Amino acid sequence: MLRFIVGRLLTLPPLLLAVSVGVFLLLRLGRGDPALDYLRLSNIPPTDAAVAAAHQLLGLDRPLAEQYLSWLWQALHLDFGLSYVTRRPVLDDLLYYLPATLQLGAAALVVTLAVSLPLGIWAARHRDRLPDHLVRALAFVGVSIPNFWLGFLLVLLFAVTLNWLPPLGRGGLSHLVMPVVAVALMSLCINARLLRASMLETAGQRHVLYARLRGLPERRIVQNHILRNALLPIVTATGMHIGELLGGTLVIENIFGWPGVGRYAVSAIYNRDYPVLQCFTLLMTVIFVLCNLLVDVLYAWLDPRIRVLREVGR
Amino acid sequence: MAQWRKRLAATVTASFFLAAAMAGGQAAAASSQGTLTYSWSANVGPLDPHRYSPNQMFAQAMVYEPLVHYREGGTIEPWLATAWTISPDGRTYDFTLREGAVFSDGTPFDAAAVKANFDAVLSQRSRHDWLELIGQIQSVEMLDSRRIRLSLKDPYYPTLLELALIRPVRFASPSVLTPEGVRSPVGTGPWMLTETKRGEYDVFTRNPSYWGPKPAYERIVVKVIPDPTSRAVAFETGEIDLIYGGTGQISADSFTRFKARGTGQTAVSAPLATRTMAINSGRAPTSELAVRRAVNHAVNKDAIVAKLLYGLEPRADMLFAANFPYTNLGLVPYAFDPARAAKLLDEAGWTVPAGGTVRMRDGQPLRVELCFIGNDAREKALAEAIQANLRAVGFDAVLIGEEENAVQARQKDGRFGLIFGDTWGAPYDPHSFVSSMRVPAHADYQAQRGLPMKAEIDAKISAVLVTTDETARQTLYRDILTILHEQAVYLPLSYLTAMSVSRGVDGVGFGASVYEIPFGAMRPAP
Repeated sequence: MLRFIVGRLLTLPPLLLAVSVGVFLLLRLGRGDPALDYLRLSNIPPTDAAVAAAHQLLGLDRPLAEQYLSWLWQALHLDFGLSYVTRRPVLDDLLYYLPATLQLGAAALVVTLAVSLPLGIWAARHRDRLPDHLVRALAFVGVSIPNFWLGFLLVLLFAVTLNWLPPLGRGGLSHLVMPVVAVALMSLCINARLLRASMLETAGQRHVLYARLRGLPERRIVQNHILRNALLPIVTATGMHIGELLGGTLVIENIFGWPGVGRYAVSAIYNRDYPVLQCFTLLMTVIFVLCNLLVDVLYAWLDPRIRVLREVGR
Repeated sequence: MAQWRKRLAATVTASFFLAAAMAGGQAAAASSQGTLTYSWSANVGPLDPHRYSPNQMFAQAMVYEPLVHYREGGTIEPWLATAWTISPDGRTYDFTLREGAVFSDGTPFDAAAVKANFDAVLSQRSRHDWLELIGQIQSVEMLDSRRIRLSLKDPYYPTLLELALIRPVRFASPSVLTPEGVRSPVGTGPWMLTETKRGEYDVFTRNPSYWGPKPAYERIVVKVIPDPTSRAVAFETGEIDLIYGGTGQISADSFTRFKARGTGQTAVSAPLATRTMAINSGRAPTSELAVRRAVNHAVNKDAIVAKLLYGLEPRADMLFAANFPYTNLGLVPYAFDPARAAKLLDEAGWTVPAGGTVRMRDGQPLRVELCFIGNDAREKALAEAIQANLRAVGFDAVLIGEEENAVQARQKDGRFGLIFGDTWGAPYDPHSFVSSMRVPAHADYQAQRGLPMKAEIDAKISAVLVTTDETARQTLYRDILTILHEQAVYLPLSYLTAMSVSRGVDGVGFGASVYEIPFGAMRPAP
């Protein structure tokens, strides 16, 4: 197992290198010029002289390869440069905003699992009856609603009309409710649907039939023989949901004024803040890879078959 | 089975209680007495008076003060300088500094402090290249502890106007000046920046040692809210007390809604700048005067103002509104008159072929490229309205919507027929804006490039900026603005305004520029 983990971690540096080249080039393929954005934010008229001065200030006057190599060299020393906009070290800014995003993402993950599992089980156990129809309808609606629109609807109802929840900002638990629901709903619905399908599939398998023949109580059959086996796809899906949830926070943080990396990155996109976007992408890559690694480890731990296969394969 | 249900029921009940507890735990949204809560799209920055982004201008203006102050209409009033004399040749300015002004750290505001700040600005001249004044300054000398002398290369008349700008010539305490910028924000202004929480808010506290009238509010909290829609919601739910600014702060949509429902006190400022289109005289077919004039007659600005701008921006007939210096000239506007436009085009040989809708001449259709920022919903709507107006007189406008930087690139190199552009507003209008018309990298230069008298215009602009004779200056401005108006190289659409929405705040007025928010005059409503 240790070997597996180390092996996976070793793939990280080349992956990061490839991502950094890709992002670096993609950003510069765009037609925009960050110098113009810098001047716009500074309220300086974009004369040729001003643009040239801004290029020099932002280090954009050097050849592309040189820009990349010097960025890479500094990045290897964990120096990701200064943000074009805030003029502060990028990594420092991102690490400052990251905890807020992780808090939102983690809360959304907890809600996703805490709500989708009972819903999925409920639906599966009442197949084609009212609970099942309700859950399926909810899943259909939930998957179809874009999260930013849901965010606005929640604000309209709970903040503007009812005045129950604060519309924006980070603070107590009450600040978390709406952004978490907005971020989590889609993953939650997918998960519930997935668990329902997976449970129904498992329920039709022979070992469940034998369990029934053995006269085991229904509750034990569901818990031990259906649910435990049906949960495996959920683990895989959760790995993907982590990406979805973190991606979802990008938009949701802007709507709810949540001071996280998502909001920081969106304004960086708007202002063509290359150093921020480069570092942000790498940071997200690391988080995704680690989360997926965790899921894989968990998967192997949950399912002996996979563990054995891996041992045999070696 | 029953147990399952019980458990589920328990979970559901528990989550309801949890949700209710969360709702109950919410802090009261109302702000405490003596605190005004405002919002801005970003943190205010480190607040260095001599630097640009990420320092936010409105906040720099709260902490730092100028030698002289710009008032609406372009008049200059004493501020940190109580008096000044200008030498007859217009090259030497002697300022007498205010007695009793101190920086908020207790350092006296005197000639040494002024000199130290000028030195800091001039040591970074290239940073301020865009501002003519900085290039004009030859030396700054202390005459005594309360008097300072500014010597210029040329008799540059907008000197006082540019000294009044929010940056770069404002004054930080010499004790915080370093070659790398200010150590901390210490100015003479009515407010001190006392707390910054990145991504969340900034707090300003009233400066107890301020020399002028003390603001009524003790604190101003500026929350970071990047999105205008979220800002409107924050106002509606009482998270903030004030929205103030242009369309970046609040959408016309939200403003009209608040006004109609009486959600707060709403107000619209006098014209602060002009929303206009430049018409390219260097490219066919707008290289013809008749065509440019026809464009001006064909566009129904009143309808645009009423339907697309919610009546919040008055119709613009001239490049500069009449409340700006030297611009109230009484020129005859191009009235909305499609018949006149059609006649002008007919006379120029552009006629509608039988069975056609677009005018032709020598086998060429009458067609122009109308460029706008594609993801700017407002510009897109305006572009479509103008296209429809032009189409009605047989003039085909091809809409080209691109991202902002691409549109800026077109402005710089003249690849447009019609293109949106705003004037810079007070206090830059008219002098800085006119000055920029001589620079090829501006849409204005590109638009005027085809005029036979372009050299004459540029010469007059250069002259008006350095003339010391008030009458000559008026005449030169009259000439420049008259030529531009008669040559119809602009299609002014509306005058940009600032909007304010407030609740529980009295005395919300407007500053002379959109960046100067008069917090000092605001007070809690009884």
